[in-house]
Amino acid sequence: MRVKPRFLLGGGLIVAAVAYLIYTAVMNTAEYYLTVAEVQARQTELQGQALRVAGRVVPGSVSWDPSSLTLGFAIGAIPEPGASAVKPVSSVSPASPIQQFRVLCTGQPKPDMFGENRDVIVEGRLGADHAIIATQVLTACPSKYVPKKPS
Amino acid sequence: MAFIGQLSLILALILAVYSIGANLYGVRRNLPELVTSARHAVWSMCAMVALAMCALWAALLQSDFSLEYVASYSSTTLPTIYKITALWGGQQGSLLLWTFLLSVFTAIVAYQSHRRNPELSPYVLAVMAGVAVFFLGMLNFVTRPFELLATVPREGTDLNPLLQNYWMAIHPPSLYTGYVSTTVPFAFGTAALITGRLDDAWIRSTRRWAIFSWFFLTLGNLFGARWAYEVLGWGGYWAWDPVENAAFMPWLVMTAYLHSVMIQERKDMLKVWNLALVGLAFGLTVFGTFITRSGVISSVHSFTQSGLGPFFMAFLIALVVFYTGLLLMRLKDLRSQAELESYLSREAAFLFNNLILVGIAFAIFWGTIFPVLSEAVRGVKITVGPPFFNKVNAPLALALIFLTGVGPLIAWRRATLKNLLQSFGSPAIAGVATGLIVFAAGVHTWYALAAFSLSAFTLVTVITEFRRGIVARCHMVNETPPQAFVNLIAKNNRRYGGYIVHVGVLMAFVGIVASSYFKTEVKKSVKPGESFAVGPYQLKYLDLVPLDTPHMASLTARVAVLKDGREVGSLAPTKIFYKQPEQPATQVAIRSTPASDLYVVLAGIDDKTDLVTFDVFLTPLVFWLWAGGLTMAVGTVMAMWPNAREREAIAAAARRRAASVMAVEPAAPGSD
Repeated sequence: MRVKPRFLLGGGLIVAAVAYLIYTAVMNTAEYYLTVAEVQARQTELQGQALRVAGRVVPGSVSWDPSSLTLGFAIGAIPEPGASAVKPVSSVSPASPIQQFRVLCTGQPKPDMFGENRDVIVEGRLGADHAIIATQVLTACPSKYVPKKPS
Repeated sequence: MAFIGQLSLILALILAVYSIGANLYGVRRNLPELVTSARHAVWSMCAMVALAMCALWAALLQSDFSLEYVASYSSTTLPTIYKITALWGGQQGSLLLWTFLLSVFTAIVAYQSHRRNPELSPYVLAVMAGVAVFFLGMLNFVTRPFELLATVPREGTDLNPLLQNYWMAIHPPSLYTGYVSTTVPFAFGTAALITGRLDDAWIRSTRRWAIFSWFFLTLGNLFGARWAYEVLGWGGYWAWDPVENAAFMPWLVMTAYLHSVMIQERKDMLKVWNLALVGLAFGLTVFGTFITRSGVISSVHSFTQSGLGPFFMAFLIALVVFYTGLLLMRLKDLRSQAELESYLSREAAFLFNNLILVGIAFAIFWGTIFPVLSEAVRGVKITVGPPFFNKVNAPLALALIFLTGVGPLIAWRRATLKNLLQSFGSPAIAGVATGLIVFAAGVHTWYALAAFSLSAFTLVTVITEFRRGIVARCHMVNETPPQAFVNLIAKNNRRYGGYIVHVGVLMAFVGIVASSYFKTEVKKSVKPGESFAVGPYQLKYLDLVPLDTPHMASLTARVAVLKDGREVGSLAPTKIFYKQPEQPATQVAIRSTPASDLYVVLAGIDDKTDLVTFDVFLTPLVFWLWAGGLTMAVGTVMAMWPNAREREAIAAAARRRAASVMAVEPAAPGSD
């Protein structure tokens, strides 16, 4: 189909509108998706930013108040999976122990799968006192449903 | 079982490879016997893959845990229906189902097209067999469903409890059928490009396949949303998860294709665009399988992270390069003489609807791969969640709904002012009136106002179309209005089926807008006998009822629903604890009416106190999403239904072609 220039304008407008929508939406809604170690490394610049942090619930840190729907716990780093023999040695153990972050989530029911040593994704903001004020806590499916392959 | 399954998969692979060679060599060297043999190879391949499916099913039903797959996704206590559905509960089985559907469709195409499209058919079958070779290669060498275990366990690890749901029997097969059938238009498009037969023969042969594919993609997405709504307990049905996006993108592209194809049939325009769309739709289904299977993008559908990623990536790149190359090679021959004359024309409306649909698909694609891109470019993983997709798509959806109203009514080529006033006068009035009424009723969100107004506008255009047709029939063939209504659809099922699909889209759209903007959520911890308010309802928590079976234990909260002091129903949200493996799950209780859904989740039970936490959603009009989805399905079936006129046209075309083939080669193939 031959297209006259004035029709390219219309098509171009739609393309531009889509591009503009994508651009502004990314600017307004993007969140950092980080591990606990990464949050620790860039703490100061992440202050007050929207975050998604993946980590593991530290045993013994969980407190849950059903009447006010307040869930508090600490997350630590998720250990590298056992099958990471190929990983370069340098990245295995950083010199300093990885910090834990307190997480406080109010107004949400406790997720079904939530528990000690479970892997969770916390959505929220990093507060001034190094605690994460979470709007949502998502639990990853437990890995035991995934068949492990020796190879 | 394992031996039979493995053997049949190897034979299927050999047959698929043979079929490619025999088809291509046979058609190039003009050896009809070889082409016939290639077709038989396709049928045998289908039989072999079917045999492999049966072997895996048999192993599942017999709980043969010597197979790794059976041990991983089944158990002796699993109910029989879920033993059957466990076939697609894991990766190897899902790919086997993919391959099975592909080989069935290939076999059907082989049967349909060797008479109808003798010139294209060998190439079509070669392309489809080529895709089958990839999947059979994966099944034979990379991710084997018949892998044996060295030590046979006594019991399997069972199917994930979340998958032990009746939707498991419905949703994956629908979606896979939709996915896999995009291969057919793709294969025909490729064949048209290879042979240079770029007239609309390939389009006519695949029109019904394209609608078939769209039908199942629609149902697959709808069922998936419904499943999430009933099971996941967050009150929503769509989370813009990568896996959902992967299923939605091909749907969008197929929707675009079904519309632009009409422009090619009528006006001989958009040829390159149509070929690009079928390539894109198929590419996106492979991409979807790639992202769900590779673990590149994290998703709540935590599938096995497997080594499949690189293979799919390579396949995808090969596809894109091959198809783009073909398209560029034929670009000169695809020029069309017709040209767009005016913005105010049906051609333009369809063109813009296409651009928007593909634009939405692109935005979703972008948002889905954004974490990977940002990590590659900036070294930081940045994700965009549901707010991104909602923000981008909301305005585009409005434009699309508007064009849904405009497209079918506006004149071809160039609309005059008179034509516009005549067609869109009353719809515009209806739209404005609806906006005012809804505003007066207290809806002051601009987006919802625009959405409801435009939906009313578009609905009235459809009604206008029906009214026109019915009035015409009443006058011309002297029918009563109900007769005229039925015959109107029966005689022009493609057109009026399409309008019914549009009505379904509007219903679903209104349901989505209302449920997104006006949902209320109440979270409350209460003791037995206490009540709390949710919108116009009072919910009274009565007591907890325990249940214990060998498979699971559960606690059900009995809740009375009161409105204006009168009891209108009771709900029983349940918390389940599966025993093997230990895993909690939620059973949502839903009281659904056309006006609103009352959706109650038993979110928590505290052992120390008597407190039980409820998470309750009051969602208006969400009913219409499901009703709209089913209306879309009904309309699609109408549009797909064979109609006498079309059958006649295809038969005539086949006769003409057969006559010309006979004339060219008197020694045509024998009986088959």
